[in-house]
Amino acid sequence: MVTDRTAPVETATLAAEVEGLLAPAEADGVFRDTRECSSALLIFGLLLISPPTPRPKTDNR
Amino acid sequence: MTGGRGDPGLLDRMVRGSLGWLDEARGFFRLPPNVTTDADPNLTLKPLGELAELTQLIGVLHPRDEIRQSARGLFAFAWNETRDGELFAELIRGEPFATYPVELYATFAQAGLRHADADELVATTTRLRGWRVAREDHTRTLNVLNAERRLGLRQHADFAAVLALTGLGRLPEPWTLDRKAVYGLTHDVFHLTDWGRNRQRLSPEATGYLRLWLPSWLDTWLEEETWDLAGELLAVTATLPDAPYDAEAWQRLAAVQAADGSVPEIGAAPTSGDPAETFLACYHSTLVTAFAATLARIACDEAEAGPATGDPALVGGRTPCESESAP
Amino acid sequence: MAEQTQGAVPLSAVIADAATGVALALRGEGGPYALSGILRHGDALTPAAVRVLGADALAPYAMEHRGAQAGPEDEAVVRQALAAYPPGADATEVSAWTYRGLVEASHAFLPAGAQPWPAPPEAGTGWVAQTPWPRLSHRVSQLAALALPGLAPGLAEQLAARTDDLSRGFVRAVRRRDWLQAAGLGRWLARLPDVAPTLGLDSGLAFVRQMGGADPRVTLHIVAAQRFHGRGW
Repeated sequence: MVTDRTAPVETATLAAEVEGLLAPAEADGVFRDTRECSSALLIFGLLLISPPTPRPKTDNR
Repeated sequence: MTGGRGDPGLLDRMVRGSLGWLDEARGFFRLPPNVTTDADPNLTLKPLGELAELTQLIGVLHPRDEIRQSARGLFAFAWNETRDGELFAELIRGEPFATYPVELYATFAQAGLRHADADELVATTTRLRGWRVAREDHTRTLNVLNAERRLGLRQHADFAAVLALTGLGRLPEPWTLDRKAVYGLTHDVFHLTDWGRNRQRLSPEATGYLRLWLPSWLDTWLEEETWDLAGELLAVTATLPDAPYDAEAWQRLAAVQAADGSVPEIGAAPTSGDPAETFLACYHSTLVTAFAATLARIACDEAEAGPATGDPALVGGRTPCESESAP
Repeated sequence: MAEQTQGAVPLSAVIADAATGVALALRGEGGPYALSGILRHGDALTPAAVRVLGADALAPYAMEHRGAQAGPEDEAVVRQALAAYPPGADATEVSAWTYRGLVEASHAFLPAGAQPWPAPPEAGTGWVAQTPWPRLSHRVSQLAALALPGLAPGLAEQLAARTDDLSRGFVRAVRRRDWLQAAGLGRWLARLPDVAPTLGLDSGLAFVRQMGGADPRVTLHIVAAQRFHGRGW
């Protein structure tokens, strides 16, 4: 934890930096969802219906 | 604001705008000739099913007559697209073990619209042991159980037992809910309350949980511009007893409704000018907006009338009482 | 975190190091705590770092079985910070309250020296009742150091009336992956009575620590919630 803290410091700049660190503006949100969800989005956007039912062509006689 | 309890004028404008756009979009709801064979049901039956479910509700429950009439017109159009229910007989013969034809048919059956062949088919397929095999998604199973109730069939599982496995049953830590979980939770509420018709079925625990945490979910999903989910959360808010009215959330949703009444599903509406693309990007959120604004409008009226008449049994719209469990 | 430039250590890095030292001490690790041991008297950045850490610079001295007594060097470091960075006339509520927090902590946790400590400056609480919950939550998270036991009783009383709103802020912050905000809010919620059980505060604090622990300030808030309020284990 011992670091070089000998560089000259601008006091006014530092005062502004202190204020900025005390009360920074809120960062933009980082929104992530479970990845298995992405393929299911269409399903869950719906109110009623299932995902597409497999419909092999060979069933059509 | 009416006594701080809502803004009926805004809510009615939103419903009218939504229904107006949906009415103009009838052509895109029409079912193609291959609907029972190789058309994608998510692009054909799903939109029509949502249209039917929600316009049926609005057509019965909305306090304003001209809005009810407009919704009923769309519901009648949807039934007409099913060829008076013949569609369901065809779908079930094609996919006898799929739940969605039964769920869809039940939407119409609750309004007394029946088809004799579909009824016989449903009675045959839903009594199979195979029908009672647990499905992956418990929230979805709640809708299947409701469909069985609407069709007058024996419910294949205990509603309360299935509900207990869902988000609304488990009441997860509110900070754990991602998009899928929130969709699931809103639909748990819709299925339990029959889309807000039977609000007294929400337990006090569920009510307290929702009242406490809905504002935080609304805030983040509005920020994420997931407008359909925001609308669903507003609908859930309106099902609470003595429902709160989140004026800011309603303003934000109203602000994304276009002049033509459409509400995009996520972010901004497509700018390609392709009407089919616009339809797919907007129909769901637009329907949800009309639905949520209808429930919120009813809540406004109840707040106006005072708690004594805030009976959850809505005139003409209450689901018949049912046993919580299958016999 | 800003990159180190021209051999200088950025203030944020100094604060992060110090927060690590405080958190270690609160966990009872790392030997006896001395503020002057983690932030050297005479270092140009030390007063700024103490000002930003606020009351937390003295948090280990608030423990019942503290590892060390504060010494005269600590007092000097704190006095320097108070003198160098007072809140200005147009200071934000956060600036005013964090300054007050450091003064209160000095009264409470440092031995009375030859000189008296300055009286805590007035800081208003009107904003607590008036601010919409998302903004309130963000602001309160920046006052996390004031959640130390016994500090700012008036503020704590006001915040207790908005426990549900702050809990909503915690939910919002986690969804946004703003771990520092979540940790700060969680720390305050750990002090407030009557947090709704459905929030799951204890698991929430543990979760935030796992997810956001790369930031030493996050760890510090969670460890403080455990140490002083017994939450988040």
